[in-house]
Amino acid sequence: MGILTNILLSPFLGPIWGTRWTLDKVDRVVREELTDDTPIKEDLMKLQMQLEMGEIDDAEYVRREAEIMQRLREVREWRERYGMSTSGGPVRVADSDETE
Amino acid sequence: MSAESAAAAAEPTPVNGKYVYCIIRNDRSREFGEIGIGSASRVYTVSHKDLAAVISDTPIVIYDPTRENVLAHEFVNETVMREFTLIPMSFGTVFRSENDVLALLKSTYQAFTDVLDKMQDKIEFGLKILWDRDRVVAAIERDNDEIRRLKDEITRNAASSTYFARMQLGRLVEAAMEEASNRYVTDIHEQLKDVSVASRSNKVIGDRMILNAAFLVDRKDEKAFDERVKAISLQYEDLLTFKYTGPWPPYNFVNIKLKLEKAT
Repeated sequence: MGILTNILLSPFLGPIWGTRWTLDKVDRVVREELTDDTPIKEDLMKLQMQLEMGEIDDAEYVRREAEIMQRLREVREWRERYGMSTSGGPVRVADSDETE
Repeated sequence: MSAESAAAAAEPTPVNGKYVYCIIRNDRSREFGEIGIGSASRVYTVSHKDLAAVISDTPIVIYDPTRENVLAHEFVNETVMREFTLIPMSFGTVFRSENDVLALLKSTYQAFTDVLDKMQDKIEFGLKILWDRDRVVAAIERDNDEIRRLKDEITRNAASSTYFARMQLGRLVEAAMEEASNRYVTDIHEQLKDVSVASRSNKVIGDRMILNAAFLVDRKDEKAFDERVKAISLQYEDLLTFKYTGPWPPYNFVNIKLKLEKAT
């Protein structure tokens, strides 16, 4: 019965499986992209290095730092939306209820 | 609404959060001056037994790691470090209340104590080394016979020299540069070994950097380490640029995973 169902319905089910698999994969890639702050932190370190080496001036640094902060905030928001951990920000100690 | 947008909307924000800079061993209350992050609020301690957290009052906000904020965080730790061995907290850690800070000290008392014992009188130095590509290439061409010969040949027969010969020269130079970079880095690590306790190499930043390392140094060896770095930078002064910073709290050598939950 199972095999027969599969064969009978295969033209119909096939593409759906395919689509779902692709969407899952796209979703995962997009999620990784949205929630990874490593490249942004690297950009920030590069920017600090450029200032330190005198390749950019202070005004340029401040302008580009603001852009990077904006990108970091966006990643943080996505991480919160996906229920992932974030660095810094308000925290509480786990199981600390008895002290309150 | 997130805490941050609440602050941005300029609504009156309660200042009952606690920003935590570091953990030290101290059983009396201490003041470190009005140098806190955000609005230069007073920096003080809360203690549990012989452990203390160095904190300042803050609204419950998310601090962006801007230069200004990071410097404020580091400045407090530098100030505390003059007198105490400390465990630095990650930048931006805000607790909802003093009770939460005390709960942290209580629940991780043993772990903090162990780390403080290990880090007693240890300081960190940062060493970033950048090279001047042109100078290194020049040095390589001077010292490497095969490369020098091939280059002379290409220059002499500019018209007839093949694409292949140029490709080969490029490959040889690349390989020689990688070899040189490894040689410099190994030599520098070797020379700093007996004046440091441990070292850690971080990812290099940008394409000019060949070393981005942190060294853990005993306070009694601070001067020796310092002099050694200066001697090495003189030795390589024609080829390499040294960016030497510190003393820092042991940011790269303390790794405590705190069991923290997001405050809601």
